[in-house]
Amino acid sequence: MDNIAILIAGIIGSVGSYWISLYLNKGATMGAALMTLLSGLVFPNLPFIEPALGATLAVVSTTGAYAGMISKKNVPNIVEMVVIGVFVGTISILAMTTYSGVGGKLGTMAAISCLAWLGIKKVFKIGAVGKKEEEKA
Amino acid sequence: MNIKVNNRNMVILSIMSVAITWLLNHEVGYGAVVSNGVVGVIGAILLPGPLAGAVFTSSFVGMSGLNVIPSLTWAVVGGAVVGVVIVLTKEIYVGIGGKGGTTAATSALITKAIISIFN
Repeated sequence: MDNIAILIAGIIGSVGSYWISLYLNKGATMGAALMTLLSGLVFPNLPFIEPALGATLAVVSTTGAYAGMISKKNVPNIVEMVVIGVFVGTISILAMTTYSGVGGKLGTMAAISCLAWLGIKKVFKIGAVGKKEEEKA
Repeated sequence: MNIKVNNRNMVILSIMSVAITWLLNHEVGYGAVVSNGVVGVIGAILLPGPLAGAVFTSSFVGMSGLNVIPSLTWAVVGGAVVGVVIVLTKEIYVGIGGKGGTTAATSALITKAIISIFN
C-alpha cells in the first residue's frame, strides 16, 4: 500500500512540475521549486497519512518535480510524464537508503528516470525521438 | 531584479543559495524539501532564467545532511564547488530533468572529499 502511495506521489510531483512549467508557462525552475514547496508543506501534514510516510511522499514528489523540469522537446506530452513519474516512484522505492544525506541524490534519481524513459523511446521508436531516428535512417 | 547573467554572478549566487538553504534546513528547521522549495521559488521570482536555474541547482547541495556538510563554512565551500561545476557544465545534457541534481550530487561528493582531507 505504501509503495502504491509512493508511485502516486512520484506521478503527482512530475506531472505537477511539468504542468506548471510548460502549460502555465512559468519555466522549469519555478515549476519544480513551486511543486517542491507544495510537496514539503502538504504531504507531511495530510491528516489521513502517518507523518513518516508523509515525509517520504514529500521526498518522492520532490524527486518527481525535478524530473518534471525536462524539456518539451524530450517529453512532448503529459502521458509520457506520467510514465516518468512511475519510474521516479520505482527508483525511489529501490534506492531510498542509498547515498543518504547527499544533496543532489533526488535530482540524480530524477535524471536516471528521465534518461531511462528517453532510452526506451529510442529503442522502441516511440514518439518524437523514435520518428527522428527513423528520419535519420 | 536586474542582475547580469555571467559566470561570476552564477558562482556568487550559488554560494548564497547553498548557505541559505543549509541555514533554513539545519538552523531554522524547515527541513530539506521546504528549504529547497523556498529558495527555488524566491530565485525564480527575482532572477533571470539561467541564474534562477543555478540558484535552484545549488540549493540541492544545501539539502545535504550534517554527515555530508557539517557547518555553514563548509556550505559556503560547497556553494563555490557547485558554482564552478555549473559554469563548467552549462552545455551538457541541457533539457534533461534531473541534470541539476546530478550536478549537485557530484558537487556535494567533491565537497565531502575536500572536508575529509581537512578533518
